[in-house]
Amino acid sequence: MVRTLERSPTPVVDHGGVTRGRATRRNRAIVVTTAVAGIAVGLFILTMMIGSYPLSAEEVVRSVLHLGSDPAVDFIVWDLRLPTAATALAVGMALGVAGLTFQKLLANPLASPDFVGVSSGASLFAVAAILVVGGIGVTVSMMALIGALVGSLLVYVLAWRDGITGYRFILIGIGVSEFMLSLVGFLIARADLFGAREAMTWLVGSVGQAGRGELLALVASVVVLLPVALLLERSLRVLEMGDDAATALGSRVEVARLSLIAVAVILVAFATAAAGPIMFVALIAGPVARRLLGPSSNATLAAAFVGAIIVLMSDLVAVHALPYVLPTGLVTGAIGAPYLLWLLATTNRVGRGG
Amino acid sequence: MRGAHELRAADLSLGYGPHDVIQGLNVDIPARRITMIVGANASGKSTLLRGLARLLRPRGGAVILDGTSVTDLRTLDVAKVVGLLPQEPLAPDGITVGDLVGRGRYPHQGWFRRWTTHDDEAVGAALEATGTSDLIDRPLAALSGGQRQRVWVAMALAQDTDLLLLDEPTNHLDISHQVELLDLFTDLNQSSGTTIVVVLHDLNLACRYADQIVAMKDGAIVAEGPPGVIVDEGLVEEVYGLASAVIPDPLTGSPLVLPRGRHHVR
Repeated sequence: MVRTLERSPTPVVDHGGVTRGRATRRNRAIVVTTAVAGIAVGLFILTMMIGSYPLSAEEVVRSVLHLGSDPAVDFIVWDLRLPTAATALAVGMALGVAGLTFQKLLANPLASPDFVGVSSGASLFAVAAILVVGGIGVTVSMMALIGALVGSLLVYVLAWRDGITGYRFILIGIGVSEFMLSLVGFLIARADLFGAREAMTWLVGSVGQAGRGELLALVASVVVLLPVALLLERSLRVLEMGDDAATALGSRVEVARLSLIAVAVILVAFATAAAGPIMFVALIAGPVARRLLGPSSNATLAAAFVGAIIVLMSDLVAVHALPYVLPTGLVTGAIGAPYLLWLLATTNRVGRGG
Repeated sequence: MRGAHELRAADLSLGYGPHDVIQGLNVDIPARRITMIVGANASGKSTLLRGLARLLRPRGGAVILDGTSVTDLRTLDVAKVVGLLPQEPLAPDGITVGDLVGRGRYPHQGWFRRWTTHDDEAVGAALEATGTSDLIDRPLAALSGGQRQRVWVAMALAQDTDLLLLDEPTNHLDISHQVELLDLFTDLNQSSGTTIVVVLHDLNLACRYADQIVAMKDGAIVAEGPPGVIVDEGLVEEVYGLASAVIPDPLTGSPLVLPRGRHHVR
């Protein structure tokens, strides 16, 4: 039989299941994304309700929207709880988007900013600021921001060889990461007890430590870069089929890749500057979002909300589950480390990823 | 009927790292014909195809598409005219057939104009042409090698281009799937006039399916023309360094290359 590409004369509504399949995927994406967004907002509000002075959801919402008239509630919400809740929300979203972008771009579930030089660059610079200069607050955050950018730039330059490939980027990223973390260890080993304690606290990461300036910078970066990431998702979809296929389909590969890396790195940099290196969120958020949405859907927005859910929940556990307050990074680490082990164990068995 | 386009290499030099693989090469791709590029391993045939598809930037000379050097054209505009199936494309984790083929529509969509019924039509037609309509909801990873290759071809078809370049599309396929795929290219060429350029390892299949053969050695073209005109013992010796007998294929009359080897020949 001679098959032909000529369009059939009678209009076919479904085009052999193409329309239906796409509609199914789209509907599932809308439902799931709406659901995770709802959960994230719910946790965001819940975070501001719980505490030594409990508030109702209505009080919180009215106060946040400037509809309330009770100055005591306004004080608790705006001065005490909203900064932490907003930091958790924004950090989670930033890390979720950045993690998914890295993982898809480098076609590897291990390609998380945690491992490829971004977080460790931020850590080195922040710890240096704390211990060498005796910096506090904004100084440390600024240094963390610069460190994240320097770390990722270093990895990008070292991994460049007629373009960037996944494995080179990840392996060089791990190498650079280890190098920087060993310098962090060196700095801490030579520090006095008070400084070392300060540095360790920063290194674990906590959403409660963000100052107003860092928080505003982080929120601004999320507000600006999340839409950019959503626009770039179109490029990401062809880039993940390899450079040759992407070029053949008309993508300007290097420009697209550099933009995506830049968006991801800047998001991580601001998140780390605000809350320290909160581990494993970027690693987990993407795969969870993709599992929920079904494979190969546009998962960037969902990953942002899943990231937010993870950080908000970790913060709730860290602050309220035990009689004493833990840093957020400790809880995300407790969730993330077993996932990483599972990932390493399973990906190698099927011969990909690691 | 599809449009006829001029695609040619003019004094083209290509290479990787410090080495030039191809220097000062000239070739015309005949419109609405099937051209097959053959040659020994490392003869530069894939490099030439990658150059024609602008995956490699020319180090000298140019690839000319309809009178303009492709480096001066917007890559998205080239993608509407020239499609390519690379040798080893990557399948995103867990991707389904329908989704993968849909990504071939990338050059026809914009930042804000995302998906139309016309895209659905093109994807449906590509699936049907490659006989993969039934697989639409299956994950690519669950398919056999032959099916998978047809799905990749469907993605290239969904791009809906007048020219289609394929880099060793029959690699890793058994003989029946090779023939099936080459039959499919011939269908496309005959039914809609798609210009097809294929890098192929199997000289006998190339002789049977090509209108035009481009034989390469050491980054240069040794001979080009219809298989019946250019393929003989001398050419096989020159291109592959192989002693052979070339007889008319009893089924088609095209040249059939019988390698001599060192054993078994009476």
